[in-house]
Amino acid sequence: MTVWDSGRIARASRLQAGARYAKGKHVARKDATALLEAVIQPGDRVCIEGDNQKQADMLAAALAAADSGKLHDLHMVQSGVVLPEHLDIFERGIARRLDYAFSGPQSQRIARLLFGGKIELGAVHTYLELFARYFIDLTPQVALIAAVSADREGNLYTGPNTEDTPAIVEATAFKDGIVIAQVNEVVDKLPRIDIPSDWVNYVIESDKPFYVEPLFTRDPAAITETQILTAMLAIKGIYAPYGVQRLNHGIGFNTAAIELLLPTYGERLGLKGKVASYWALNPHPTLIPAIESGWVKQIHSFGSEVGMDDYIRARSDVYFTGPDGSLRSNRAFSQVAGLYACDMFIGSTLQIDLQGNSSTVTTDRVAGFGGAPNMGSDARGRRHPSEPWLRAGKEADPDSPALMRRGRKLVVQIGETFGDKNVPLFVEHLDAIELARKLDLDLAPVMVYGDDVTHIVTEEGIANLLLCRDNDEREQAIRGVAGYTAIGRARDAKMVQRLRERGVIRRPEDLGIDPLDADRRMLAASSIKDLVRWSGGLYAPPSRFRNW
Amino acid sequence: MSSPSWFEASARQRVKEMLDQDSFVEFIGPEQRETSPHLSLFDLPEQFDDGMIVGRGLLDGKPVFIAAQEGRFMGGAFGEVHGAKLTGLLRAARDVGSIPVVILFDTGGVRLQEANAGELAIAEIMRAVVEARLAGVPVVGLVGGRAGCYGGGGLTAGSCSALAVSEQGRISVSGPEVIETNRGVEEFDSKDRALVWRTMGGKQRYLIGGADVFADDTVASFRDAARYVIEHAAALDLDTLQAEQVRLEQRIERFGACADAIDIWRSMGAADPQSLPGMAFEDFVALADGLKETRHVAR
Repeated sequence: MTVWDSGRIARASRLQAGARYAKGKHVARKDATALLEAVIQPGDRVCIEGDNQKQADMLAAALAAADSGKLHDLHMVQSGVVLPEHLDIFERGIARRLDYAFSGPQSQRIARLLFGGKIELGAVHTYLELFARYFIDLTPQVALIAAVSADREGNLYTGPNTEDTPAIVEATAFKDGIVIAQVNEVVDKLPRIDIPSDWVNYVIESDKPFYVEPLFTRDPAAITETQILTAMLAIKGIYAPYGVQRLNHGIGFNTAAIELLLPTYGERLGLKGKVASYWALNPHPTLIPAIESGWVKQIHSFGSEVGMDDYIRARSDVYFTGPDGSLRSNRAFSQVAGLYACDMFIGSTLQIDLQGNSSTVTTDRVAGFGGAPNMGSDARGRRHPSEPWLRAGKEADPDSPALMRRGRKLVVQIGETFGDKNVPLFVEHLDAIELARKLDLDLAPVMVYGDDVTHIVTEEGIANLLLCRDNDEREQAIRGVAGYTAIGRARDAKMVQRLRERGVIRRPEDLGIDPLDADRRMLAASSIKDLVRWSGGLYAPPSRFRNW
Repeated sequence: MSSPSWFEASARQRVKEMLDQDSFVEFIGPEQRETSPHLSLFDLPEQFDDGMIVGRGLLDGKPVFIAAQEGRFMGGAFGEVHGAKLTGLLRAARDVGSIPVVILFDTGGVRLQEANAGELAIAEIMRAVVEARLAGVPVVGLVGGRAGCYGGGGLTAGSCSALAVSEQGRISVSGPEVIETNRGVEEFDSKDRALVWRTMGGKQRYLIGGADVFADDTVASFRDAARYVIEHAAALDLDTLQAEQVRLEQRIERFGACADAIDIWRSMGAADPQSLPGMAFEDFVALADGLKETRHVAR
């Protein structure tokens, strides 16, 4: 006889196995590993919540301490491989297979484990892709999540750093999975309920608050004049002519410079209210001066940012907040917003090749993607028009009838021709290809594909790839802004000159920008302390960013 | 227009804005291309002034010798040429005997690429400072730049007649990373910038007598501070050294058991020591002047 509820039966037996460690839904910290050994089974798909910001760190450590005789061959399906424990479980033989999206600090070690065969790699995803697969073929049997607080019944408050939790819990709880939450504290009354108790099976009070990385804090003191020049070029050469109102910024210093130039340089160009009003963006501290100067109408966030909670609470017209007043972030929804409702993505990268493909992996680092490929890609399913989208579409395809012409999202790569440690930004071949060969992958880990990139901005100028009519033009447009790198020096000077005459390449002087005007005094804030002042004392930067 | 930020300004901007208008005359300027003989061996970029500007000028109509380190070139680090320019200036001041020297420190210490030459330079500079001071010339230091004042810079600053520092300034010999590398992150977490600043930063240095004047982060404030410390510089004699020895002995006795600057400030009588780092310039100066620790009256 066919059984139609085997998942439900399995869940019941897992819950029965875990019951001896629980009082109601509550489990003591010391029993965390024993609980995991009881409810997880060898071969399970397990998600440890964690992305580029928040981490279910206590549960990660508890799983890493498990007996590999009891727990083995797990298939980890999680956004981030960020903590040492995330890789310890592979080294100890508890887990074998991995599907993930992002690894920042562990990118070198993950590469070693991949080469050493300790990890069997499924795929490197974008956040949104991995969330999507949670609902199709990578649904977790057990999810280990992090929340700020729980009440006696097991309702959860995930607070400002809600981030990935709703997507993970939705997929797990409604497909017969087990949801285990670590919380900073158990309280009588929650500020608000983000996850209802009947989606949660176990709650463990952690001995310390879950870790959050201040990944989006950029110290204005570290912004260089070259970065300011690229920011001026972007504002005057892209934001202004396209009238970009809805956008997402990357996390680099070039875009931080743009944020700090809006209230000064942008104001002088008369752009206030005309550009940069609606954002899919984390609460970047460097956006505070623009917010305070009345530039920003609304921001939806993937996550929160350390130290920004009080500021956000006091600016609920700008941010999404709950009835309790604190931020509600949601990575899945914000990624969708960035993909479908933004007209521009602008961000930095480590390598750009002659086709405009870009990547942040090098041969000994597998950093993963996070969300950038979703932000930095044209949404082929988009159907609503907007001025920048239509204009970009027209530039790419001037001859098609307007009513049948697709628009284009502006996907802008911004950086200096020579990056950190004087490494050239432009390369003949991406390291990603070499890495794919070494690891025998079916697909090289490309962050943004060249056919999605519309503009490249360096201190040498802007290359508008929409206006290139063939691959040769495209290559020369890229070489034309590659400056003194080997790629730049190999340009065809005559062709670059022709491209410049057509406005495909625009130098600073073509835009009426004097590079000598790129001065740090133009930044609305030149230090973290200035940002605190702009916020009226509401922004409380973490200790590692304070030089006072 | 308000006075520009000292921290943000380049070494040349500081010199130009601090001295009387158009009074600066540079010695061995960048047009002479006295660049480092070592950096090219490492395929590293050179700077025509080797990150050290020396010359003379007027401060309120009175002549001064001035030296300024460019913290944005190799972290203001001392190399052979960089150091020789300062040594030469100090020896000139010694020989002239009546014109004070103002040193605008902005340095991480000795350049690793020219380590031996740089270390020798520090020894020569310290000797030259002492010789100038023995000849009756005040040698004063100003600290408030990006690179702080570390390593040999910290030692040289310690040899000066008097120092002025801003909140942004840091004065120490071993830098945060060096301490962490040698003693572990439990001893000193170099990434915890608030810890770095409350340990080595301008406010702490001023409070415990490591600097004589607390300046605001403006060129105008440093100009005032320079004038003040030149006028109040102590002579280098036996009495001064003995008084300094006593002061340092008392300091280690009083604060030697403190684990953190916060403990020091509390024991000095600050009612809310945690609030001290965030305090604005005027509030801090008012509070600091009320606290009990003896000023740096002697060196």
